[in-house]
Amino acid sequence: MKRKGLRFYLHIYRKILAQDIKSKMSYRADFIISTIGMIFTNISGFVGFWILFRNFPSINGWSYHEMLFLYGFSLVSITPVQCLFDNNWSLRQQVYSGDFIKYCFRPINLFFYYQSEVFDIKGLGQLAFGIGTIAYSWSRIGLAFTPLMLLKLIVFLITASLIMIALQNAAAATCFWIQNSFYVLDLAFRFKDYAKYPVTIFSTVFRFIFTFIVPIAFIAYYPSLVILRPDEIPLLSWLSPFIGIAFFFVSYKIWMRGATRYSGTGS
Amino acid sequence: MAGIIEIKNVTKEFRVLNRREGLKGSLKDLFSRNYKTVRAVDNVSMSIQQGEIVGYLGPNGAGKSTTIKMMTGVLEPTSGEILVNGCVPYKNRTKNAENIGVVFGQRSQLWWALPLIESFRLLKDIYQISDSGYDEMMKLYGSLVDIEPLLHKPVRQMSLGQRTLSDILAAFLHDPKIVFLDEPTIGLDVSMKAKIRTLIHALNKEKKTTVILTTHDMGDVDALCRRIVIIDHGKMLYDNDIEHLKSFFGSYRTLKVRVDGDLAAQTQQIQGQYPDFSVTCDEQEEWISVLVDEDRQKVLDVLSQLQKTHRIKDMQLEEISTEEVIKKIYEEGVR
Repeated sequence: MKRKGLRFYLHIYRKILAQDIKSKMSYRADFIISTIGMIFTNISGFVGFWILFRNFPSINGWSYHEMLFLYGFSLVSITPVQCLFDNNWSLRQQVYSGDFIKYCFRPINLFFYYQSEVFDIKGLGQLAFGIGTIAYSWSRIGLAFTPLMLLKLIVFLITASLIMIALQNAAAATCFWIQNSFYVLDLAFRFKDYAKYPVTIFSTVFRFIFTFIVPIAFIAYYPSLVILRPDEIPLLSWLSPFIGIAFFFVSYKIWMRGATRYSGTGS
Repeated sequence: MAGIIEIKNVTKEFRVLNRREGLKGSLKDLFSRNYKTVRAVDNVSMSIQQGEIVGYLGPNGAGKSTTIKMMTGVLEPTSGEILVNGCVPYKNRTKNAENIGVVFGQRSQLWWALPLIESFRLLKDIYQISDSGYDEMMKLYGSLVDIEPLLHKPVRQMSLGQRTLSDILAAFLHDPKIVFLDEPTIGLDVSMKAKIRTLIHALNKEKKTTVILTTHDMGDVDALCRRIVIIDHGKMLYDNDIEHLKSFFGSYRTLKVRVDGDLAAQTQQIQGQYPDFSVTCDEQEEWISVLVDEDRQKVLDVLSQLQKTHRIKDMQLEEISTEEVIKKIYEEGVR
């Protein structure tokens, strides 16, 4: 048997993805309605944002366009978790009903196999929204557009995504230990709403929580500082890529440990 | 000779929270760590040879699924040793998975939205099946079942029978050494059951695949298994040829009659006539069942005697069911 490296998994993933998209397209009404829903969700988010800034020209020293940048940044960074890790939402149900056991019989990584099963194509629309917002605010703030800046942007977007994914993995994995874990997952996902504000607007206690306990400040705030405030970058911003990788790894370990502990209901 | 599956003194225990009754009890449970230990599998040993079809029987909750989960590497035994293909399943789950196939009754393992052929192609990649191996298998499938209409149908649109058939084909696709079938014929109609039995039998013969089959359907066992293992309350009760079991229990038949008059009174009266046989009644269907030991009295004699004393409206003759065999073994042990 050949060793199963990254290439093997990429190959499998590409195939599953292609099949999944093909089959999703076959439910055309479902696809169109959910896309419209997604667009309205995003528009309403923008409207709320716009109304807020009609009344306050800036928040704690952050201008409208800088906040918009943060907003777009958070939109893009939650896209991977929505597109690629959406199956985490049904984990609880599958563990409860015992269906989860079917994932344990394949000779491939359990976490990979489970997450590969669902690809949420709607997230791509959100990605387009996010990129548009970043591009717009980027030009309005008058930031330089150099390859280095682009590289920074991409690295920190990946960082932010990793943290969002890690949060959701860990929250979803709680269902291996507790029965009613929906609230944990829901809570974790709601936290992302706070990610689009600069962490400095919160009190010290929350600033501490959002930095070290539920690290949502790393989803948009710390990474954006590198681009928006190049003169006053805190150490935490530079550390965030490593923190992102570490959090992802830890969440993966938690998830796998939970899955190993899982014993299935009788059948 | 060492078997393909070797199980030695395997025990599996679960820790279960002692639940108290009522709201107050639930509140107490929140804080107490009062566990009791439940032994799902108790000191089970068996050795299974390559190419065997073994019927693994027992009532619900007997420990069958737990044993299978241990053999597939999902669960770790509390004590004892399991070797499947010479490796410890729990420690090498993915490696073990390459050599086994699993079908869990009503839970399809195929991709719900995909046509069967796409699922097969994905499995081909996941199990790294060679092109020639894949083609050979598809050819074999084509000769055994009418596979064409299934291939291009998404799994979600299939009937339960088609889905089960597809799941079985998928489990054999990578030519595994062992296939575990957990109640494969549950909920299927008679012709589908027959089709599936024929398929399993043919694949076992053709590929020398070892098959572990759990079922509640004695028809499955009769059609497929030469050896059966019976387990109840986690303990192994029987492990031998099916012929041996049949010679022991084959002489039992169940005679069911519908008679005029009050059901309970009639049941009592018949029981009085045949104190040696167990007489039960099914109130909903209004059947009175007499479990006749034909070594003592022929079932037709019993029927003709009953005809003299009762007005029989309807009658049925049944072979002893798996449930009854297991019940009898459990109650009386194996002579």
